Amino acid sequence: MATKDIGPKNPVAKTNDMVVDYVDHRTGMKTGLNWFMNRNIPAETSWFQTLGFTAMALFGLQAITGIILAMYYKPDAATAFESIRVITDDLTWGWLVRGMHKWGASAMIVVVFLHMGRVFFFGAYKYPRELTWVTGSLLLVMTMFMGLTGYLLIWDQKAYWATVVAVNLTASAPVLGPYLADVLRAGPEFGPNTLSRFYAIHMLLIPGGMITFIAIHLFLVSKLGIAEPPWSKRRTMVEREKEEAKRQAARDRLPTGRTRVPVRAPEHPPLRTPAPTSSSTATTPEGGGS
Amino acid sequence: MNKAQQKEYLEDYAEAKRQGKPFFPYAIYKDHLVALFAIGIVIAMAIVYRVEVGEPVNPATTDFVPRPEWYFFFLFELLKIFKGENVLTPVIMGTFLVPNILMVLLVVWPFIDRGPERRIEKRPVALAIAVVVIALMAWLTEEGVKSPSGTVDPAAIELEGLDEAGEAGLVLYAANQCSACHMIKGEGAPGPGPDLTNESSKDRGLEWQIDHLKEPASRTPGSSMPAFPNFTDQEYEDLGTFLEGLGDTYK
Repeated sequence: MATKDIGPKNPVAKTNDMVVDYVDHRTGMKTGLNWFMNRNIPAETSWFQTLGFTAMALFGLQAITGIILAMYYKPDAATAFESIRVITDDLTWGWLVRGMHKWGASAMIVVVFLHMGRVFFFGAYKYPRELTWVTGSLLLVMTMFMGLTGYLLIWDQKAYWATVVAVNLTASAPVLGPYLADVLRAGPEFGPNTLSRFYAIHMLLIPGGMITFIAIHLFLVSKLGIAEPPWSKRRTMVEREKEEAKRQAARDRLPTGRTRVPVRAPEHPPLRTPAPTSSSTATTPEGGGS
Repeated sequence: MNKAQQKEYLEDYAEAKRQGKPFFPYAIYKDHLVALFAIGIVIAMAIVYRVEVGEPVNPATTDFVPRPEWYFFFLFELLKIFKGENVLTPVIMGTFLVPNILMVLLVVWPFIDRGPERRIEKRPVALAIAVVVIALMAWLTEEGVKSPSGTVDPAAIELEGLDEAGEAGLVLYAANQCSACHMIKGEGAPGPGPDLTNESSKDRGLEWQIDHLKEPASRTPGSSMPAFPNFTDQEYEDLGTFLEGLGDTYK
């Protein structure tokens, strides 16, 4: 892809072209980016259709603040609480990062629910976007589980006892409940290993699942295109035209009225009558003469 | 949607795309504006409402108030509705059935509502469901916000006929924040635990009460109440006597 029309040919531009061509030849990156970035979207989109991206941006914010917190947090029953205290009280900007992670969780829940409401009210989960909704609803459930598992990591009284109740609730579920509770608690009792387990679930298991499902969700959104608002100007026009066509068809189907019934040829040839004056009435069934 | 309606939708959407505009930059810029606004709000909240350091975990004390984060209030409040006090409100409804049925319905919703109509004003059933669900969740969350944090002064519970064991039991009851989940004569939280005003009428006996305190699920399968395994024998007896006497000896 040599650039011939702009500026003199210098070695840097040439090298850039070579690098881009090298990568594109082996990965199809140009095609991919073109497919993602230059695809058309309907002319009219609502501001509410930015909530999905906003949820993803907040997920990114949670990832960044979470990684920073993980650099100082110690996932051990004996030191967890103290490390949270150090992050909050001693560390430069520590309170801000922890605060952003905490409020970011709430904000993400709010935005994810609003996003779901938008998709519901736009009827955007209908054909062909059913599976986009399925992956999205699983992301919503995973977001809730992030809130649940992250709450314990603070390792203070409130978090501890709220999580004890949550795990007891899990244990009360029929059939699988007791086993699931044992998995969450890392044993029959709530103890130090429970903290490590929640840490692993919060840091590795659910984020891995969420990244996977966000990727699928995003791929489906790009492939199927974002839904057009059902009341966009173009849709309103299309519906009005359809409505008009339907009315027209209904009018055309009327057996009587403004449309003319075609003149039928008489079934029998006119009787031969000597009187020439009566022949005109026989050939016109409508009898417009009299 | 039948095959013809699907085909018609795809053709119409293709037409919308033909008349449309490129994703970059038209959608991207709107997305970034709103996302930056949201991140700004998060930073502002973090600055205005600073995080605090709570009390360190102490599994032995049990003077706690189990309250989840606000976004779980709607599930938490379900436990207060379904307390197993009569046939219509079995505990399993709040702990398992309602949340899980709602979750499954949420995931499979597109396979239930398959009609071609997308305008909400022409989808009365979907609109009604949405309004009811939003109203219920808002109401339950609001109830969760309003619900008392649990700490009740033992003097606020006025009981007659308190003897020595009853008095000691009441002090333990208050010190261990039982009123965060239970109610006696209108004092304390209306749930998730049952109202204990007439506990004696259930004829459970002292032994049942003590076993239940040590390991609630052993006596009430499916109970979400935390265990209280660290009392002395005397304390178990006092609290058990107190609970067993409620509504009979202590009114």
